[in-house]
Amino acid sequence: MGIEVLWEAFQLPFMARSLATVLLLAVASGVIGVFVNLRGLEFVSDGLVHAVFPGLVIGFAVASTGGLIWGAFAAALIGAVLLTVAERRGLGSDATIAVVLTSMFGIGIVIVSRQQGYVAQLEQLLFGRLLTVTDAQLAQIAVLSAIAVLLIAATGKEQLFRAFDRHGARAAGRGGFGVELVLNVAVALVVVAGAQAIGSLLVLALLIVPAAIGRLVTRRFAVLFPIAVLSAALAGWAGLVIGFTASVGAGLTPSPGATVVLVLVALYVVVLLGSLAATRMRRAAVR
Amino acid sequence: MPSAPVLSFADATLAYPGAIGLSGLTLDIEAGQAVALVGPNGAGKSTLLKAVLGQVPATSGRLAVLGGTPAAALDRIGYMPQTDELDPEFPVTLRQVVMMGRYRSVGWLRWPGRADREAVDAALTRVGLTDLAGTRFGRLSGGQRQRGMLARALVSDPRLLLLDEPFNGLDQVNRDALLGTIAELTASGVAVVVSTHDLELVRAVCDRVVLLNGRMVAEGPVDATLTLPLLEQAFGSTAATVDGATVLSHPDHGHHPEHGHPAERGH
Repeated sequence: MGIEVLWEAFQLPFMARSLATVLLLAVASGVIGVFVNLRGLEFVSDGLVHAVFPGLVIGFAVASTGGLIWGAFAAALIGAVLLTVAERRGLGSDATIAVVLTSMFGIGIVIVSRQQGYVAQLEQLLFGRLLTVTDAQLAQIAVLSAIAVLLIAATGKEQLFRAFDRHGARAAGRGGFGVELVLNVAVALVVVAGAQAIGSLLVLALLIVPAAIGRLVTRRFAVLFPIAVLSAALAGWAGLVIGFTASVGAGLTPSPGATVVLVLVALYVVVLLGSLAATRMRRAAVR
Repeated sequence: MPSAPVLSFADATLAYPGAIGLSGLTLDIEAGQAVALVGPNGAGKSTLLKAVLGQVPATSGRLAVLGGTPAAALDRIGYMPQTDELDPEFPVTLRQVVMMGRYRSVGWLRWPGRADREAVDAALTRVGLTDLAGTRFGRLSGGQRQRGMLARALVSDPRLLLLDEPFNGLDQVNRDALLGTIAELTASGVAVVVSTHDLELVRAVCDRVVLLNGRMVAEGPVDATLTLPLLEQAFGSTAATVDGATVLSHPDHGHHPEHGHPAERGH
């Protein structure tokens, strides 16, 4: 096996579907992640991720794999509305979110542990099945991602205003409940889209890490988006190649979702070290 | 004045959970007037500004902005919040910040066009920051940020301008620039309401003063209102007379240097 594994692997239909999945998620999570970063909503996103988990479990218990999406979708929308209201009422403290997310997660575990073969199912729900994404699931992910990106594109300037200056935006009638709800719903849609493919827990990394890479690389708002999307796409592609190579070549079967996330985090560390080194060199040059 | 006041409170009580209450407010502000809100922390200065913006309701009495409800007047109000809460690392340029002042008139689902860009250029020229338009907002000095926020408040040609503590921590150059802009605005018929601890500024640029301390203590022309007995009613014993002018020794629990204070003069 040579260098051609970098692209040849994706001639296999299941690998092509996996690649399409991570690229779609890269676009949606990159774009929405920029605003999650600018608003400091990382922990709220974590709350949504955990709120989605019991939805996945209930959906699965009711209608097997086909029910995953609807359970997750319902739970995510409820979670998005509740978290937006909580934040508005001044209840959006870390403690509130922590209570909500752990209790939701607990509910999910209780339900899933009553199913047969629950360890395998738990693993699937938590970490996704990137390599067995079906055409129907891919279509769902495409629709959810597109809606999320459209929501943010339509309210982009208001989201920027709200993120930069809460009081000013509110005074201009541009930072109200609606703007906050739209972003939380968009986050929820990305979580639902990513949950089946890379798992409800790992999707959080896709929302947070690419935007964080963008913040390290640029201080220009418009440039954040392409950097976040490209970082996520690069990690998705590289993670799949590494996972495929390890499976075919070495007989290992790493979780592809986890591999993607680990590559993404590695990319973050490399960029972080590069940015620290660049700052140092600039300081040295000034001296 | 023949026309209706820009801002009118009639025995208004302002109250909202999470906001400091304010009662007994009777006040008319006409076009071209600059009015200072003076009072200790927690006196209700911000509550008054929020009421004008429609964020705190009048639970009794009456409040009219440009002859109607605050919500209906929002298009004609420029608001300059305090800048110290803003994240200096936030990736926006000064130009982008000023453009935010146009978002309301641009409307939902639309993007700014040429007229908006021209308005931003004009506002930046007005506050003297044209050269810094492309600079990241967080890299500007405190005074330049304040002037940038003023440009944002002006970019939609407001008839009423609300300034929340605009002079905190400004150096002399930026103070003078801000004072000059306020004088120009009132001359052109804009009504200005400014909350401040800075009595020297009040004397320099304001026509009237409203003294607050949970209620309206007094209201009237600057010299007749900034008197020791009235200031003591609003502030307690921190008011004093220095060099013939009444000043506040600890207006803000010592956070902000008071320009009237002899030790702080000339910085």
